[in-house]
Amino acid sequence: MEQLLVPMICKVDKVIQETPDIRTYRLTFREEGLMDQFSYLPGQFVEFSLLGSGECTFCISSSATRKGYFDCSIKKAGVVTADIHTSLEEGDEVGIRGPFGNWFPLEDIKGKNLLFVGGGIGLAPLRSLIQYCIDNRSDYKDFTILYGARTSADMCYKDEIKEWQDNKSLNVVLTIDKPEETWTTNVGVVPKILEEVVKPVIENTKVITCGPPIMIKYTIQSLVKLGFADKDIITTLEMKMQCGLGKCGRCNIGSTYVCKDGPVFTNEQLKSLPDEF
Amino acid sequence: MSFTTFVTDKAGLQKFYEAVMASRETYAPVEKFGKFDFKRVARLSECDPVSPIAKTLSIKPLFFPRTAKVMKYVATSAGTDVSEVDEDPLAVKRVILGAKHCDARSLQVLDKVYNWDYIDTDYQKRRENTVIISTRCDKADTHCFCTSLDYDVENLDALDVLVVNGADGKTYLEARTAKGEALLGETFTSDAVRVTKEEAAPEMKKQYDAFAASFRLKMDYKEVNAKLAKIFDTPEFENVSGNCVSCNTCAFVCPTCHCFKISDEKVKDTGVRYKSYDSCNNGYFTLMAGGHNPRPVKYRRWRQRAMHKFVYYKERFGENLCVGCGKCTISCPVNISIFEVVSQVSAAAGNRQ
Amino acid sequence: MNYTKQIQDIAAKLFAEGKIDVFVGYRMNGFDENQVPVLITDPQDVSKLVFTDKSVFNLVNYLKTDHTRRKRVGIVVKGCDSRSLNLMLTESQVKRENLYVVGICCEGVVDDAGEKMQNCTDCMVPDAVVSDEMLGTAVSGSGTLTYKKNADIVALAEKPLTERAAYFEEVFENCIRCNACRHSCPLCYCAKCCIDQETATLYNGANTTSAAFHALMTWSLHLAGRCVDCRNCEKACPSHLPLHLLHKQNESVIYENFQEHLAGVIPEDRGAFYKYSLKDPDDFIM
Repeated sequence: MEQLLVPMICKVDKVIQETPDIRTYRLTFREEGLMDQFSYLPGQFVEFSLLGSGECTFCISSSATRKGYFDCSIKKAGVVTADIHTSLEEGDEVGIRGPFGNWFPLEDIKGKNLLFVGGGIGLAPLRSLIQYCIDNRSDYKDFTILYGARTSADMCYKDEIKEWQDNKSLNVVLTIDKPEETWTTNVGVVPKILEEVVKPVIENTKVITCGPPIMIKYTIQSLVKLGFADKDIITTLEMKMQCGLGKCGRCNIGSTYVCKDGPVFTNEQLKSLPDEF
Repeated sequence: MSFTTFVTDKAGLQKFYEAVMASRETYAPVEKFGKFDFKRVARLSECDPVSPIAKTLSIKPLFFPRTAKVMKYVATSAGTDVSEVDEDPLAVKRVILGAKHCDARSLQVLDKVYNWDYIDTDYQKRRENTVIISTRCDKADTHCFCTSLDYDVENLDALDVLVVNGADGKTYLEARTAKGEALLGETFTSDAVRVTKEEAAPEMKKQYDAFAASFRLKMDYKEVNAKLAKIFDTPEFENVSGNCVSCNTCAFVCPTCHCFKISDEKVKDTGVRYKSYDSCNNGYFTLMAGGHNPRPVKYRRWRQRAMHKFVYYKERFGENLCVGCGKCTISCPVNISIFEVVSQVSAAAGNRQ
Repeated sequence: MNYTKQIQDIAAKLFAEGKIDVFVGYRMNGFDENQVPVLITDPQDVSKLVFTDKSVFNLVNYLKTDHTRRKRVGIVVKGCDSRSLNLMLTESQVKRENLYVVGICCEGVVDDAGEKMQNCTDCMVPDAVVSDEMLGTAVSGSGTLTYKKNADIVALAEKPLTERAAYFEEVFENCIRCNACRHSCPLCYCAKCCIDQETATLYNGANTTSAAFHALMTWSLHLAGRCVDCRNCEKACPSHLPLHLLHKQNESVIYENFQEHLAGVIPEDRGAFYKYSLKDPDDFIM
């Protein structure tokens, strides 16, 4: 297995400072031709090595429908991510293994209304699917994005959100936790805005949600209260992972390996797992 | 395919071992500080093929090394270079002497996880190139319970050559696989007598029966599987894990535990990436950057350990992730026994319903 | 040495008076003559408690686990155990008011084979130095015990340096890096050990001789002047490594150079490395 753990080298094309503690790294493979072979679907993740510092798991936050690069959005949280933020700049090289894991159920959501509910850095995996769905817009009906962050400064992908807002076929709802002087729209936590402002159509709608564990918990509660079926609520789990190959045992919840059977699960599947996340 | 059985005596067995050692790389239990670990040996006098089970570490490191180099790298501002490591020293044609039956069985259990989805080709190569010669124990140790688990100890086909010390003073050798048959054919040239399986059977059965009768511990694994699966949230886990000191030794000596971690060792610009053992009893096994930990307290980690062994792995791969060797209990500084833990917890489940 | 009855009575009384939530003692392991630690929370279970010369494990280790944290604890300590408790108190790891300490005047414990443990024959502090209640009569008597340099250390010191290096190489080679020694040590209570860093350093989890060397050496130096020679680490080591050699060497150097300092004997004594005295040797300063 050792050779499966050896990463491919990628170059950092661009660094985007999304918020004070989130950066998006735009990457391409150093070796020619590899980028075209690198096929992935929304929801999958990669193992990202800052050589000399360590390896971390990040979801791919762009869609393969946008050719020639892929993005990883990284929040400063632990030792390695702090190193990435301080030392990794444009032109530097990193190691990448992947893509790993399953993806959002693209067949199931075809022809449905889509409701994306994201919080903080949790928009990263959703962005991959949002981009994918925008690029195949005709396959879907209503398209709503609800995104919340602690403050307006903590919102990532600000430029892209503006594009989404300008896109007449998307309905974008933003919220922040506490009022700010320059903020003119919604204030309040995501589940509250979901119930009071978005008031989603339940019929024929798939909800895709991701965010901090506590937000996911209350959002799912709200969704269930609103009448969504468990199988229509899709989320992506965060769990400590290391190998991505279903071997190292770290992401084991019940008989499920989150890195192989996940990280995308419907609420129906989550309910059948032991309560350990 | 039918396999050969030989009858010989102690001297004949020794000759066989010596012939094996002359023909292949051999690993066998070597004593150091009163404990036996499997190491490369050149002479029979260096090792003890019948080392006591309680004092012998498992053969797992010969297939899943305690530390394996993943890659070497050079990372400078000018660029990054990754190079693969030297050839795997464990992938050569080799023989393991003195493996216990439980050790051999553990490889069958591990095959399942290494061969699903992403195939671990290194592990496979090591498996293919290894012939295991295993002497059947004469007596169960205090903590042994292999006969209580989901495999047939008597007719185990995880080992290639079986050695049985018959009560009649004779030594029986039986090939159990094609690999074993080939090894016996190549190297067994002494004045041993070839017998049919049926001729050897009564004496071997007698030996097995005496061995099987010597077990202190017995359980019904099916009942344990079924009961544990139902009681994820029992407070009993808190009781059984009370005196655990979270030292992780159990996982390191366990022949079936296979969790690992990836770590780097870097000096200046050059580094090496290692893959080494890890344990789910470790407090930061599941700790995520940012501080969230799904198993922050000891009893939850113990629950994961017990459930993974007797429920989750069974559900996923159809085997118990335990071979009943008792190594965890022997090595545990406070003698916590996985046998006691699962029996106690499933008994609590019985009371509850 | 048998205080089974006394300890059972004390534990029962403490539970009856509502003074403790958990009692840490020993019980029979259930399959042979040896004992294992037990944490008792149900007063009905006090009859499981035993104490004889087979009560080996240093129970102070349990004061750092989830099961005792922020609880009122009754605990049995022998001489060496009490020294580690003293250090835990000095280093603010436990609160004295949360503890009820049963001190033992220890005549020495025996190993699995029934022979007196080596650290007991060398013991300088057999009687518990922290207690709410003492059992037995003082073993140290009128303080006539003298410091005995460990026989293994003396033997090792006589060997030339290259042989000593070769010996320790062998020790480190047989280390399987499970870190059981550290986890079973009562004084290794750091939330995140420096040898468990996730970033790339020499202190990684790899099972290489150099990594084992760094880990064990760093560990023993963190315990220099603190190790109380309870041998929990050796008991936990699955490879049976002679870990006491590292600690006893440090101990003897500190004893000889720092005013006969012994770890944890005097309450509030922060240890040789944490205090300055004019009498400290300075011949190593260039």
